[in-house]
Amino acid sequence: MFEYSSLLTFIALTAILAFSFYAVLIAGQLSLAQVGLASLAAFTAALVVPSEPLFGFIPPLMIGVVFGMAVGGIAAFVLGLPVMRLRGVFLAIATLAFGEMVRIFLINQSWTNGAQGLSFPKLVGIETAWIALALVAFWFWRLSGSRMGRAFAAIREDELAATTMGINVPRYRMASFVIAGAVAGLYGVLFVHFTRFADPNRFSFETAVDGLVTAVVGGTTFFVGPVLGSVFLSALPEVQRALGIDASWIRPAISGLLLLVVILFLPGGLAGLIPRRKSSTRLVSDPEALPQLEPLPTRGTEVMALRALGKSYGGVRAVRDVDLTLATGQILGLIGPNGAGKTTLVNMVTGVTAPTSGTGTVLGIDLTAKTRAHRLARAGIARTFQQIKLFNRLSALDNVLVGGYRVSRDTLLRRLVFLPSARRFERQAAAVASAQLIRVGLGDKATIAAGDLSYGDQRRLEIARALASHPTLLVLDEPAAGMNHVEADRLSELIRSLAADGVAVLIIEHNVRMMLALCDRITVLNFGEVIAAGTPDEVARDPKVLEAYLGANDDAAAEAAAEELAEVAAESVKDADGDAAGAEGAR
Amino acid sequence: MQLFVDGIFLGSIYALFAIGFTLVFGILDRLNLAHAAVFSAGALVGIEVVTRFGLSIWVAIPIVFALGALLGVLIERIAFRPLAGRHDAHFAGLISSIALGAIILSVLQALYGADTRRFPAEAFPSTRLEFLGATFSLLQLMILVISVTLMVVLTWVVAKSKLGRGMRTIAENPHAAAVLGLNVGRISSMTFAISSALGAVAGVLFTLNVNAANLGIGHAVELKALAVIILGGLGSLPGALIGGLILGLAEVYAVNTVGSSWRDMVAFGLLFLVLIIRPQGIFGARKVREV
Amino acid sequence: MSAKHLSAVAGGSLLLLALAACSTTAPAPSGEAEAGGLVGSGSGAECSIESEIPIGAAFSLTGAAAQYGSSQKNALEMAVDDLNEVGGVTYSLTVEDDATDPQQAIQVFDGFISDGASIIVGPTLSNTAKQTNPVAQEASVPVLGVSNTAAGITEIGDYIFRDSLTEDAVIPQTVAAAVEKFDLEKVVVMYSNDDAFTESGYQAFAAALEEEGVEVTETLTFSKTDTDFRALLDKAKQSSPDALVVSALVEAAVPLVTQAREIGIDAPIIGGNGFNSPALIKGAGEAAEGVIVGAAWNSASENEQNVAFIEAYTERFDVAPDQFAAQAYAGMQIIDEAVRANCSGEREDIKAGLGEITDVPTVLGEVSINENRDAEHEALVQVVEGDKFAILD
Repeated sequence: MFEYSSLLTFIALTAILAFSFYAVLIAGQLSLAQVGLASLAAFTAALVVPSEPLFGFIPPLMIGVVFGMAVGGIAAFVLGLPVMRLRGVFLAIATLAFGEMVRIFLINQSWTNGAQGLSFPKLVGIETAWIALALVAFWFWRLSGSRMGRAFAAIREDELAATTMGINVPRYRMASFVIAGAVAGLYGVLFVHFTRFADPNRFSFETAVDGLVTAVVGGTTFFVGPVLGSVFLSALPEVQRALGIDASWIRPAISGLLLLVVILFLPGGLAGLIPRRKSSTRLVSDPEALPQLEPLPTRGTEVMALRALGKSYGGVRAVRDVDLTLATGQILGLIGPNGAGKTTLVNMVTGVTAPTSGTGTVLGIDLTAKTRAHRLARAGIARTFQQIKLFNRLSALDNVLVGGYRVSRDTLLRRLVFLPSARRFERQAAAVASAQLIRVGLGDKATIAAGDLSYGDQRRLEIARALASHPTLLVLDEPAAGMNHVEADRLSELIRSLAADGVAVLIIEHNVRMMLALCDRITVLNFGEVIAAGTPDEVARDPKVLEAYLGANDDAAAEAAAEELAEVAAESVKDADGDAAGAEGAR
Repeated sequence: MQLFVDGIFLGSIYALFAIGFTLVFGILDRLNLAHAAVFSAGALVGIEVVTRFGLSIWVAIPIVFALGALLGVLIERIAFRPLAGRHDAHFAGLISSIALGAIILSVLQALYGADTRRFPAEAFPSTRLEFLGATFSLLQLMILVISVTLMVVLTWVVAKSKLGRGMRTIAENPHAAAVLGLNVGRISSMTFAISSALGAVAGVLFTLNVNAANLGIGHAVELKALAVIILGGLGSLPGALIGGLILGLAEVYAVNTVGSSWRDMVAFGLLFLVLIIRPQGIFGARKVREV
Repeated sequence: MSAKHLSAVAGGSLLLLALAACSTTAPAPSGEAEAGGLVGSGSGAECSIESEIPIGAAFSLTGAAAQYGSSQKNALEMAVDDLNEVGGVTYSLTVEDDATDPQQAIQVFDGFISDGASIIVGPTLSNTAKQTNPVAQEASVPVLGVSNTAAGITEIGDYIFRDSLTEDAVIPQTVAAAVEKFDLEKVVVMYSNDDAFTESGYQAFAAALEEEGVEVTETLTFSKTDTDFRALLDKAKQSSPDALVVSALVEAAVPLVTQAREIGIDAPIIGGNGFNSPALIKGAGEAAEGVIVGAAWNSASENEQNVAFIEAYTERFDVAPDQFAAQAYAGMQIIDEAVRANCSGEREDIKAGLGEITDVPTVLGEVSINENRDAEHEALVQVVEGDKFAILD
């Protein structure tokens, strides 16, 4: 025992508590249930921790820890079942309510001795606490570069985009919840076996807020954050004592001030002070590293068939009775004025919104209310969004790596024991991602955060991310928006080469000239209905199409499209007349 | 009947705290955890003004209102505005407001010590009223009336006034609000000022009602107020009032049925259930997510 | 290994190194080093010790229990000043804040232990004491609790003493006196069930009421942070009890008493130790009239020391002392007695001295410490009469 041994032990224990918050924060969730879970774990552990080693060699603390983590994890799972569908502040408050319910429950139980509290044997010292912290930190360190870690980051940045990459968002959110619960259970058991006494009030709302503050002050983008946060916050009172600052109101005032300074001036938390590279992964341009990907279905295989598909919101029918088919190797264009229902249709095809009428099959999966976007993504559909939905704080390459979720393997367990195959799989995933990034011309911007890229680059990055999943059906929602015509031409070329590889492409675009040149077939929507369909020529000549665009009021894009449409139609009529004239002349 | 009346009055206290709380939370989407400290500050400064300077409670309340407004502006300027545009503004605001709340509380301790204080007994007439066999104090009735009035006035302000339109635009889209030429900073400041001024006055009324104030009273009510604004629906002012009344009634009836040990279990269980069944709260509107 | 991993590992190991460095450079316990100077010559009033005797006190000066901690600090400082004036033995007092957080209290204890404190006074709250006192017990440093009333404190070990009477020592007497005076037959009991102090008070009340054969028609609980008790009181009122028996801290006691009178409960109110504070009278005013309080200390006691103490305290701090202050002051008197008994400020000698405390005159009256290391002295039953605590007769 030396002067600072308790302080150092508390630093380790508080860091473990902060890690239980970190576990959910990295997946973009705010849960305050951890303290309640820790309490449950600690008090139930008191019922099972034996006074003598089990079988003569399993130390009692080990039993307590395993039991406590199990209790924490299982309780988190049970709690997660109903609350997992909540988001943001609703989740925070539901979990806070749970924590309070646990506290009140335990206060009213005789086996916890209520507010009188319970004594525990002292089984934890400074070494045990730091070993436990090292193990927890190690887990989160290995997690951060694994596929699971990337999936958490993707969910944090944009849940919807993550789903359309094939990530089973509810399952991952639950996983982060259960991990947090197990870590919280560990904290609870260690804490009470260090302090030797606890009553249920020890695990209160204030404790939860402390844990959250520690995690956020430390930083949630780097695994050492919770440790730094804990060192900072636990040492503050001790430092003030050592400096001889008067033991009075002045101390909380100073602590509050420092906390304020840290939070206002260090956006990434204390961990942001540690210099490190923005991207955890490097571009792998070695073609040798590319894994063998499953071949696409043979050209002409039907991948999408919609029959009278419709969607209404309340009484408004956004899309009605749409029939549409698409086969591999084909490029199908979807045009129409704003509000015609194009994006709604695409959302139904990608499983983002459920249809309310009609039937549809995409890649062998029926579109119903129960169809989940990640399942369609798993089956081989990839998409981009009209409103760009990138993972803004991740690097360009990491974005594409998340896109490769479907064709990569989870490496967390392998990483934990440093299996060589973990590195091999990661290199393969990086190679796939790098190849797509280079393909769209962003090879030199791999390490830049997606949010910092220019608009056009962001569009291209979204396409690279979609391509990284090696899709059978690629859905592009206004991919050329904001591009100049040189860039748009290059994009058209890319799309053509994809179709040539056998990818089925469904594309929405306002650039009518580009669409007419690019697509094999075009379907025109207006007010949710198909008003024309056929080859680009047929569509361009259809007067209803021009009318639809002209009828759209106050819509600059539609006006431009109408103009282009009129020009193209005129050109093609002239061509046709010319042909006819030539034919006549030849006769 | 007495139970019902007790519940309503207990609930109106929760509502009083919650109305200011929900204004910032629901409209600016910021959880201001310094609100509890403002509540305590209102109570303690109010007591000081009445006892030290011998002023009437009717003079003290406007002073406390002004103090609350000032604190609100400070909170917005110090704890929230510097975070604008940061991706972690949500968490960071939570924590900067906790930090600022701690500072406010420590200053209060420096000024007034940690003892439980109260208004002099003669500060407010202790008239008792009777209605359908239930008794209550004039003060309780006044708090209920104030809560309802505040709810109505604020609802009107948010729905109809220029300031309210500004608030709503900012809530929808701060960037658009700036583009439209709204002074986002000023409107945020105003919202915080109103919210905190209400919080501070709520502290005074609360203290008059229960006859005790100390540094911790804000925190004791804060948790319940969180429950109230969720019950009623985030950002809905009528919701905050109704939510408060529901919680008050639930607590009172819980005491009489399942016993007082389990009272808070009922309160938080109710909150938990509402969140699971109807997350948008009783009066909240469901937000449709756009892709 | 990528650069990120390298830097992470480097950062982590640096941190660990820094911590390890901290731990190896931390000063060794210095208690033994100063040993020589702490033993004096003579005994009792003639005892003279050369070195100052270091005393550590851990109180809650900020946080939820701040209002108790600050009066303890005041009284202890005053006691040390008074005793240092007597001469022969001088004390150097360090008061630290545990911020009402057991975690901090443990660290404060650690600091006192390694800085060589001869005895530690405190901490303020019983549940904190259950976490801090084992640390002192392991390090063989005596602890004198001056406000811990919960069961199981002195059982922690033979270095743990207290001068605060447990609720068991006060409450039966209070109940007996009240039953006799008011002829109680049925009562309603109210207590906050999320606080160790008030809950143990409740247990003592329940046992005492059963002993006296009083029927408890209703037991109502609340939370220590509650301030609105009208719903509970309305429920209590329904069974028209002969008295309300309340175990609560003074923060809750003030609103509870005033609201009880407000809604028209006229039955006498009987409170535990938590009620024994001038804050009750100041806060509840007229409503406090007639409240019966069992207490370890009575401000109206004629005890000469007590009268002087109240006068000096009120003059110095501009506020009347409460029971917490009196017990802290008495604690220092008891420590002085224990030091002078063996004329030594050594930890072991103080411990031995505390075990021998018998009928020491203090502001609490004559205090003895029994074989369980708990204090024994006369408890009093008081009633609030005309803005003052008076002895119930």
